[in-house]
Amino acid sequence: MKAALSSSSVRAPFGLTAAAVAIGLVFLGPLAYVVWRNVDLGTDLGSVLVDADTLRPLSQSLRLGVAVALSAAVIGTGLAWLTVRCDLPGRRVWRLLAPVPLVFPSFVGATALLAGFASGGLVQELLTPLGIHSLPDMRGFRGAWLVLTLFTYPYVYLPVAARLASLPPSLEESARLLGRSPLAVFRSVVLPQASSAIWAGTLLVFLYAISDFGAVALLGYDTLTEQIFADKLFDQPRAMGLSLVLGGVALIVVIAERSLDRRRRRIEVVRSRESLIVPLGRWRWPAVVVVGGFLGNALAGPVAVLGFWAWRGMTADTTTVGLATDMGDLVGPTLHTAEAGLITALVAIAVVLPLAWTISRYRSRVAGVANSMVVTGFALPGVVIALSLVFWAIDTPLLNRWYQTLPLLIIAYVLHFGAQATRAAQVAVDAVPRRLGDAAATLGAGRVRRFFSVEVPLMTPGLLAGAGIVMLSTMKELPATLLLAPIGFDTLATEIWSAEQRGALAQGAVASLVLVALSAVLTWVVVIRRIEHH
Amino acid sequence: MLGILDIRYDVSMTNSSLRRFLTPVLVVFAVLATACGSDSDSESSAGSGPITVYSGRDEELVQPLIDAFTASSGIEVDVRYADSAELALLIQTEGDNTPADVFISQSPGALGLLAGEDRLAPLPDDLLGLVDPGFAASDGTWVGLSGRVRVVVYNSDLVDVADLPTSVLELSGADYAGRVAVAPTNGSFQDFVTAMRSELGDEATSAWLEGLAANGAPNYPKNSAIVEAVGRGEVEMGLVNHYYNLRALEADPSVSSVNHFLPAGDVGSLVIVTGGAVLAASESGAAGEELLRYLLSVDAQTTFAAETQEYPLLDGVAAPDGLPALSGYAADTIDYDLLGDGLTGTIDLIRESGIEQ
Repeated sequence: MKAALSSSSVRAPFGLTAAAVAIGLVFLGPLAYVVWRNVDLGTDLGSVLVDADTLRPLSQSLRLGVAVALSAAVIGTGLAWLTVRCDLPGRRVWRLLAPVPLVFPSFVGATALLAGFASGGLVQELLTPLGIHSLPDMRGFRGAWLVLTLFTYPYVYLPVAARLASLPPSLEESARLLGRSPLAVFRSVVLPQASSAIWAGTLLVFLYAISDFGAVALLGYDTLTEQIFADKLFDQPRAMGLSLVLGGVALIVVIAERSLDRRRRRIEVVRSRESLIVPLGRWRWPAVVVVGGFLGNALAGPVAVLGFWAWRGMTADTTTVGLATDMGDLVGPTLHTAEAGLITALVAIAVVLPLAWTISRYRSRVAGVANSMVVTGFALPGVVIALSLVFWAIDTPLLNRWYQTLPLLIIAYVLHFGAQATRAAQVAVDAVPRRLGDAAATLGAGRVRRFFSVEVPLMTPGLLAGAGIVMLSTMKELPATLLLAPIGFDTLATEIWSAEQRGALAQGAVASLVLVALSAVLTWVVVIRRIEHH
Repeated sequence: MLGILDIRYDVSMTNSSLRRFLTPVLVVFAVLATACGSDSDSESSAGSGPITVYSGRDEELVQPLIDAFTASSGIEVDVRYADSAELALLIQTEGDNTPADVFISQSPGALGLLAGEDRLAPLPDDLLGLVDPGFAASDGTWVGLSGRVRVVVYNSDLVDVADLPTSVLELSGADYAGRVAVAPTNGSFQDFVTAMRSELGDEATSAWLEGLAANGAPNYPKNSAIVEAVGRGEVEMGLVNHYYNLRALEADPSVSSVNHFLPAGDVGSLVIVTGGAVLAASESGAAGEELLRYLLSVDAQTTFAAETQEYPLLDGVAAPDGLPALSGYAADTIDYDLLGDGLTGTIDLIRESGIEQ
C-alpha cells in the first residue's frame, strides 16, 4: 500500500497527459455539438429547465435510472458471485448465457415481453385453462423497470465476474476457515473487493436507463429521452435543450461517482492459479432455481416468444416470403454485425486504455475531465451522436472523405460506447500491482516489454469484460448505423428494425434469434473463454 | 497508445501476449485501410455515377421498384434506408454537402420541414400534375407517392359494432373513457391533429385532445404497438393508419383486431400521403425527377397497392382489394403545408392537452 500511495502522487508522464487531452477533445465532440446547436437555435435553457413539461419527465428518468441501477447492481453482482465463485451446478453454461441478454435491442426485448406477459399475451393464453385470467399490468414504470433490469444487468455482471475471477482466494479462505457462512464471506470479503467493478457497471446501467428510448416508449413511460424523440424534428430547440440536460445529468453523476471512487481503498491483485470455489451446500439447488429462473425471464422468455413468431411465420400459409431465403439474406448482415462489434470493441479498448491508466495511476485532473467527456457520450441518444459526427465530418477536409464509410461509423460507435470500456479498463488497471512492474524494472525489463509481458496479462480479464460490453452494445446499435453506415452495410439490428417497420414479425424474430446466437458465440470466444483460460 | 509505448522497443521480444494483442490491431488497420481504399475508388467515378436516395420507406417495398427503375432507365441508384424523421435531420445537418439527391418520406411532415428550410427543389408541373393537387405540396417541392387512411382499429371480441363511432370527434366523450389508444408522439397522429386544426381550428382541436386526456386514453409509441395491443385485447380501440392491421392479420389471421373506416368527410378519415422530393443541393436533379416519375407510373403504383395495401395516388390505378375507394375521402380540404411548419404548433397543442402520460 505504501508503494501505491507514493506512486499515485507522481505526475503523469507528458505522453500520457497529451494522450488524455487528445482523447478528451475527441469525445467532447458530441457534447460540443449539442451546446453549439443550443446556441445556434437560441434555446432558452432556463425556461426549458423549469418547465413542468421538462421536470416531470426528468424526474421520471432519474427515478427509472436509480431503480434500474439498484436492481441491476444486485442481480449482476449476485449472478457473478454465484457463477464464478460458487459450486453452482452447470455454472459454465450459466456463465456463457448470463451476458447475452445485453444484446437484445430494448424495443425487441420490450415487444417480446409485452407479447409474452402482457394481459392477453401468450403466457396468459397458456394460463387461461388453469383459471388465471389476468396478469399484472406491464405498462408504465413497472414494465420499464423490469424490462431494463432484465436487459442491462450484464453491464454489472461482466466487470464483476471478471474481477471475481482474478481475486486472490486467500482472504476468502481465511474467512471461511474462521467459520463464516458463504453469505457472510460474500458480504465481508467479496463485496468490498468487487465494489469498484460494481460501481463501474452500475453507473453504466444508470446512464443506459436514462438514455433508453425503445423500451420506455413501448411501455408508455414518459422520460426525457422520449421527449427528445418526440421533439427532435419539429421542436429542435427543445430537443437540443433536453439533450443538454441529459448530458448534464450524466456529467453530475460521473463526477459524483468519481469522487466516491477516489475514497475507496484499492485492492491489488496477485493472480493465483485457481480461484476459490465456495461450496453452497444445501443452497446449491435453490441457487440454481434462482439463477435459472432469472435467466429464464431475461433470455429464455424473449427467445421463446421470438421462436414462436418465427415458427408461426414459417408455418402460416399467408406468408408470402419464404423464411429460408430470408435466412440466406442474413449472412451478410451477420458478418457485418460481427465485424462492426469486434472492430469497435478493439478500437474502444485501445483508445481508452491510456486514459484509464492515467486516471488509475496518477492524480491527473486532466484525465479526470477527459473521462467525464467519454462518459457523456453514452448518455446522449445515438441519433444525437450520429448527427454530431455528421456536423463535424461533413465540412472537414480529410474527415469528409470518410463520410458514411466504415471508419467514421466505428468512430461514432466508439464515441457512443467508449464509456463502457473506460470504467472497465480502470478496474483492469487497478488490478495490476505497481510493485510487479517495479520488480520487473529492477530486473532490467524495458517499459514496452514490461507492459506487454507483465501488465497486459493481468489486465486482460477486466479489459475483455469492457470489450465484451462494447461489442454487444455495438451489435445492437441502430440510429448511428442507419445514418452513418456505408450504403449496403446492413447489420442484424437494421434488419430487425426494417422487419419491424413493415410489421413482419416472423422475419424480425429470425434476425433477432440470429443476433442472440451470434452474441452468445462471440461472447464465448472473445470474452468468457479468455477470462477463464487466460 | 504511443504514450505508453517506450521507444526502447525490444526487437528480440517474442512475447506471445504482445502478438495476441497486436494481431487484432493490425487486422483492424487492414480493414480500415481497405474501407478507405474502396471509398476513394467510388469517388473517382463520381460525376455520371449513381444517384443517392434517402428512403424513409422500407427496403422490402422500395428496392424492387428501384431495381426496376434502374433496369428501364439505366440510372444506378444507391439507397440509404432509415427513419423518415431522422433522415430529414440528417439532410438538414448535411446542408449543401448532402450526398442525397432524392428523399422519400413516410410522412409529409418531414418533407414540409425541409421545404420550409429551402432544402427541396421545385418539381416540374407535369410531375406534380400526375396526382390530385391535394396530394402534393402547394409550392411544388414534393409530390405524394401513396396514401394511407386514418381508421379506428378495434377488438371484435370486446367492442360491439353498434358502439363504434361515426365520427372521430365522439371519442373525446365519456362513453369512450379509457377505451381508445393513441400515439401522441407519433408522426401520423401529429399529422392527423394538424389536419384537424386546419379543419376545425385550434380551439376545437384542443378541446378534443383534452377530452381524450380526461378519458385517460392509453399511450403507445406508434401505430403498430396500438394494433398489437388491440389484438391482445389490452385496449379496446385505437387511432391508427389503415394498413397496420392488414399486416398484422397477414402475420396472424386469427387475431381479432378489425379496421373501422370512418365515413368519408369525417376529419378522422384523413388521407395521409407518403411523398418524394428532389433535394435543392443535388447535381442530378433530372435523374431524381425521373425516379419520382417512375414511382408514379402505373407499374409502380400497382405495386404500392399490392405490396403495402396503401392507396395508389395515380388516377386510374385501383385501390387495394377490400378497401373503400379513395375518392370521397376528401384530401383537398386539408392544407398539407400546415403539416410542415405547423407541426411545432401541433406538438405544443398535444403536449398542453395532457394526453401524454
